[in-house]
Amino acid sequence: MTPLIHLTGITKTLKGQGEPRSILSGVDLTLHAGRSVAILGRSGSGKSTLLSVLGLFDRADGGRYLLGDKDITRLPEQRAAALRSAEFGFVFQRFFLLKHLTAAQNVAMAFVNGQGWLPRGKRRARVMAALDLVGIAHLAEHRPPRLSGGEQQRVAIARALVREPRVLLADEPTGALDTETGALVVDVLRDATSRGCGLVLVTHDRDHARKMDDVLELREGRFA
Amino acid sequence: MGSGKLRSALVIGGQGIRARKLRTFLSMTSLFLGVLAVLTVQAGAEIAERAMLSGVELTRGKDGTLQMFVPQEEPALGVVERTLAGRSDGVAVVGMNAIIGEPGVRPINDGAVPFDHPRVGGPEGGSGKPDGQAIEVQLEALTGDVRGFRPFRQVSGQWLDFASAPALAPRIVVNEEAAIGLRRHRVPGEMALPGAAVHVTPQVVGVVEDGSPRPSVYVRMDELRTWPPGSSNADTSRGGSRVQVMLSPSATDLVQTLRSRLIGVGVPADELDAHPIDSREELEGQLSLVRLIFLGMAALVLLIGVAGILNVGLATVGERVEELALRRAVGTSRLLLAGIVLAETLLTGLLTAVAAIGTGAAGVKVGSALLGPSYPALQGISFPWQAGVAGVVAGVAAGVLGGLVPAIRAARIPIAAVMRA
Repeated sequence: MTPLIHLTGITKTLKGQGEPRSILSGVDLTLHAGRSVAILGRSGSGKSTLLSVLGLFDRADGGRYLLGDKDITRLPEQRAAALRSAEFGFVFQRFFLLKHLTAAQNVAMAFVNGQGWLPRGKRRARVMAALDLVGIAHLAEHRPPRLSGGEQQRVAIARALVREPRVLLADEPTGALDTETGALVVDVLRDATSRGCGLVLVTHDRDHARKMDDVLELREGRFA
Repeated sequence: MGSGKLRSALVIGGQGIRARKLRTFLSMTSLFLGVLAVLTVQAGAEIAERAMLSGVELTRGKDGTLQMFVPQEEPALGVVERTLAGRSDGVAVVGMNAIIGEPGVRPINDGAVPFDHPRVGGPEGGSGKPDGQAIEVQLEALTGDVRGFRPFRQVSGQWLDFASAPALAPRIVVNEEAAIGLRRHRVPGEMALPGAAVHVTPQVVGVVEDGSPRPSVYVRMDELRTWPPGSSNADTSRGGSRVQVMLSPSATDLVQTLRSRLIGVGVPADELDAHPIDSREELEGQLSLVRLIFLGMAALVLLIGVAGILNVGLATVGERVEELALRRAVGTSRLLLAGIVLAETLLTGLLTAVAAIGTGAAGVKVGSALLGPSYPALQGISFPWQAGVAGVVAGVAAGVLGGLVPAIRAARIPIAAVMRA
């Protein structure tokens, strides 16, 4: 069976002021549909950089990135944006919700990105279904300042799920939440895999990591 | 940019404006004055041109009117009269000076000058005639209603009736300056035409505004002819010894007929060219430099508005860096992101233009109502559409110029760096 994601020998060097610094030095990773993988590692180990490469925010310097059977290692920006919209969902440590929009409007953001246009009615139905999936449909008209941290992160997850992505990338999604709420959020993310979505969870928390199908630890730019 | 992208840009741009109302208002305030300045210059120039043109139309004739000069002598004059009889698309005007008042005296305004002009030439002006109760006017004898070509404004009474039978006592319409002379000097109601043996007793039927500073009198040519035989041979002091024929631009058949008949009675063909009146072109030439200078000044004010939008735009992009990075993360391309920022400044520019146009239109209305009674040229003026177009162009241009740098900056936001921060 063709894996959803297949990385081989991914390298990434950050070139800033001073000496270039190698962040990823030959990362291999395989993710199948409906499976989840947790990536552990110390700060600066390259977890977030790897997630940036996976989410097409950044390009790898070397190696090969296959999405299904499609080589997307060197994708032009325009096509990368289209792919991000169609295939990926993102959840971040900070929720990145827009305060002036309601929860429903924040979720609908995923549709208002120039990658096709859904009529208002259909858009609304998809948004409400996504909010329902994470258990906060009743908070659809609330603005983020009126929501708790856990509720805000659920809105962010609904935004990631609303386009029914094939891959869900979560970068320390529980980092800003208390333990109990964090556990609930990880459960919600884990549930997404039951609908065939692949999940990559970057976390510091070994308890959350253990809930995933696979656990990988990144040390000095490669998996240990 | 496809319709989905355009819609996305407009929807998100609109959301951005609603979310930052105060900031948008401040941007609009700085731009408002610039757009208003452009509008004012454009509207002012259009209104000035119209006012000047309407003044020129009164004296010279409407733009496009064909003008022909014919010798003021028989048989040419008779041919002109017969050809134009009963036509509304052509009128002949025979100009001469006439004296109304005591016969055989030197008129109060010798030479048909305006009444407030100082009198020249000493007590008798070198004419050998004693001063008396008479005024000199410029008499214009008409074959038909000239208002189709020179749109006189009726001040009081009525205009000449060309449909009725000619009256024995010629009916005359005077201009405002002549009316002032008649009112001020209370001259006897007797009119003398140079070279005519008999004096006529005219009936004043109305007063018009004709744009002329000199006292003028309009009369039906046939009424003038029925009364003092030979008056058409009177000397003229206007237009040499030629009759002015004014013709509608569409009256090509009439021009042709008139030319043929006049050539037939011996008038040289090269003297019978019909030239169109092009007052607008001349006025535009005079106004264009002034307009350019003022537009340059308005552009400077507009630049300040652009700088305002640019400043606010850059600050906003700085504040929205997370939002913009997030939008890229969910699939918005760099190009669309730039489009979103531009859409916001563009909408701001358009809103400002609408506000400025509204203010300008209201200003013109109020100005017309307040100043109209003192300045007739401002009566009934409306906001010129050209100024509206200029306002929209200025608003859009300012929006694009002011939004360009913030848009480029927004497009360059690195998602990864922002999301990791």
